Amino acid sequence: MRIDDQFLLGLANLWRMKLRMILTTLGVAIGIGALVSMVSFGIGMQKNVTDAIRENDLFTSLTVTGQEIDIQSAMQGNIEGVIESFQAEAPLLNRDALEKIQSLDGVEIAFPEIVFPVKVRMGNEETQTTLRALPASMGQFKPFNEIPYGHFFASDSASLVLLNPSVLKELKRVVKDPENPVALSWEDSARGVRSVSADSILGKEIEIITSVIDVSKIMQNPLNYLNTTTGRPFREAVTPFRIGGLLKEPSEFSDSRFISGVIAPIGRAEEIPQLGFTSVRDLFDPSGDTEGYGAFYVRVRRTQDLDRIQEKIEEMGYNTFSIMEQLDEIKKGFIILDTALGTIGIIALFVAALGIINTMVMSILERTREIGIMKAIGGSENEIKGIFFFEAGAIGLIGGIFGLILGWIVTRIANVVANYIVTQQGGPVVDYFYMPIWLLLGAIGFSIFVSLLAGLYPAMRAARVDPVEALRHD
Amino acid sequence: MNTEDSLNPILRIQKIVKNYHKGSIQVQAVQSISFDVSKSEFITIVGRSGSGKSTLLNLVGGLDRATSGHLFVNNADLTKMKRSELALHRRQTVGMIFQSFNLIPSRTALENITLALAFGGMKRRDRKQKASEILSRVGLEHRLDHKPGELSGGEAQRVAIARALANEPDILLADEPTGNLDSKTSIEIIQLLEKLNQKQHVTILMVTHDEELAKTVSHRILHLFDGKIVHQQILRRIS
Ligand SMILES: Nc1ncnc2c1ncn2[C@@H]1O[C@H](COP(=O)(O)OP(=O)(O)O)[C@@H](O)[C@H]1O
Ligand SMILES: [Mg+2]
Repeated sequence: MRIDDQFLLGLANLWRMKLRMILTTLGVAIGIGALVSMVSFGIGMQKNVTDAIRENDLFTSLTVTGQEIDIQSAMQGNIEGVIESFQAEAPLLNRDALEKIQSLDGVEIAFPEIVFPVKVRMGNEETQTTLRALPASMGQFKPFNEIPYGHFFASDSASLVLLNPSVLKELKRVVKDPENPVALSWEDSARGVRSVSADSILGKEIEIITSVIDVSKIMQNPLNYLNTTTGRPFREAVTPFRIGGLLKEPSEFSDSRFISGVIAPIGRAEEIPQLGFTSVRDLFDPSGDTEGYGAFYVRVRRTQDLDRIQEKIEEMGYNTFSIMEQLDEIKKGFIILDTALGTIGIIALFVAALGIINTMVMSILERTREIGIMKAIGGSENEIKGIFFFEAGAIGLIGGIFGLILGWIVTRIANVVANYIVTQQGGPVVDYFYMPIWLLLGAIGFSIFVSLLAGLYPAMRAARVDPVEALRHD
Repeated sequence: MNTEDSLNPILRIQKIVKNYHKGSIQVQAVQSISFDVSKSEFITIVGRSGSGKSTLLNLVGGLDRATSGHLFVNNADLTKMKRSELALHRRQTVGMIFQSFNLIPSRTALENITLALAFGGMKRRDRKQKASEILSRVGLEHRLDHKPGELSGGEAQRVAIARALANEPDILLADEPTGNLDSKTSIEIIQLLEKLNQKQHVTILMVTHDEELAKTVSHRILHLFDGKIVHQQILRRIS
């Protein structure tokens, strides 16, 4: 008897016990369905994160910061170590350092992180937000190479700003997108937010208002400078700009180094009078020349240069941080997540496997005589084993296929529900589940494997049926 | 116990013993039986219920193992065979029929035969043709697609005979083939066996209660009592 005969006999047996086999197969289908939907969620999350990182071009950049406190020493109560790390000659993140980093081979752009709170005024409307300074050269990179309205500024000294949609909304304007019309919410309409065309916004004048210390006022009344009658020692500085473009709403994976209500050209932004918080001395230094910056943004030409450049910068005595470095950790995290999710599915599948064992042992007990007959007409132990083994395998295959269908339906429904809830709260539409082909094939393979494993014992029992005992007439 | 052709027997049984253990009690089902069966011989074993007839047949059929002794079929010793070799023996060398027919109830007459052919290793596309051929040889060409439950006792036993012969065995073993049949049908079945023996020279080892019916067709009759052969009747020569 050939293998295909054993397979067909196994199938025929399944067909004969329809209801019982359907229930057993359903058990497997549920197990596989649970497994694929769980794991596809983990994979979907991972894909969304890595896609977003890639989308936002985070693989080619790093952040440079000054020397940090030796946290490990602090945790271990090693006060001396902490003090030592403070006293260590920490190089400043100043212009010299920036020039040195810029001149490193493979560095595309390097610029200091400049961000400070501002008030924005457009017409009669005002709002608080932050202003971030970027060089014009960032215009060729994501997300600034594809801004929805207007253009990224062409020069570092241009008097143009880019606005975030949320800031625009605070200024009571929403851009009408003819392709994707969004109805204003009731609250927004009540507040007086108006839907306008992008053209009517672009080029519009906008004032950036910053607070600066009025040293003369402190001198007038040094002991009571908060006295409101004499006026606070602050003064508002107004810098006029025009709106050069409108940005996309940042997603949760957007590079946080670029998120800001207002983005202005770096040269022009540095001229805006402001309170510097980097050093107390700045407060009294009317030149406004800062001693150092908080951080540098460095972008390399090629991802593979990142490690080398990162090392070089660390040799200079700075701290660096890159997403690339974090990616391995992220991947490890996802493996743990996938394993945890997969375990739930695997447990369901093993319960189903017990069902297979139960069903098959039952059917073997009922079919003892038939097995005896097969032996009497020449069936070998291996052939009989094979028939029952294929029966189990077929349960695994059919259960696996139905499990995939079930898993697919479940994840589609879950996706719709999740997106409904998330978008209600203003989140983006995302596919939370992802079923790569390897998951589908792997799940079917695993289903067959587990089913065959479950069939091992029943098949062995079938093969060991004593024909004399089985055929003794009753 | 000699036969005319004892020099070249198809089956040689030597001092075969089979003991069963029922708890602490030992049942000696077969006690040192020896005899030879020649090619084309129709040999019948009679004896009371419990005398060890079925046990002996199961030993020859390779369904059971002897406690001691030797069983040569075509000069191969069954008592020395591995389990897989015994399966091969059951498939190729012997064909068995039983009192209770032992057909697979969920399969049609034809499918019961094709299953045996499948075990025999025949290609799938040839099986149906061969199965219906064998069924018409036992006069059942009109019952191919009937399930065993839809057949009369005589018809069911014919299907069983056809199945036993499907892989062209050297010996047909029949354990009380008429035990469940009325006397008219019993005669028909015995005549079918006789025809197979006479025309196709099938060697037959049959067990029966019905000594009178056996006398009409057998070459030899062995009388079994308490697991021993107590008497032998030679009725006619092998033609
Ligand atoms: N599997 C078994 N276990 C124990 N005793 C058995 C077994 N098979 C048969 N016997 C005993 O062996 C004896 C012969 O049985 P059997 O060969 O079936 O007799 P027959 O076929 O002549 O009626 C009986 O006493 C029977 O009870
Ligand atoms: Mg008997």
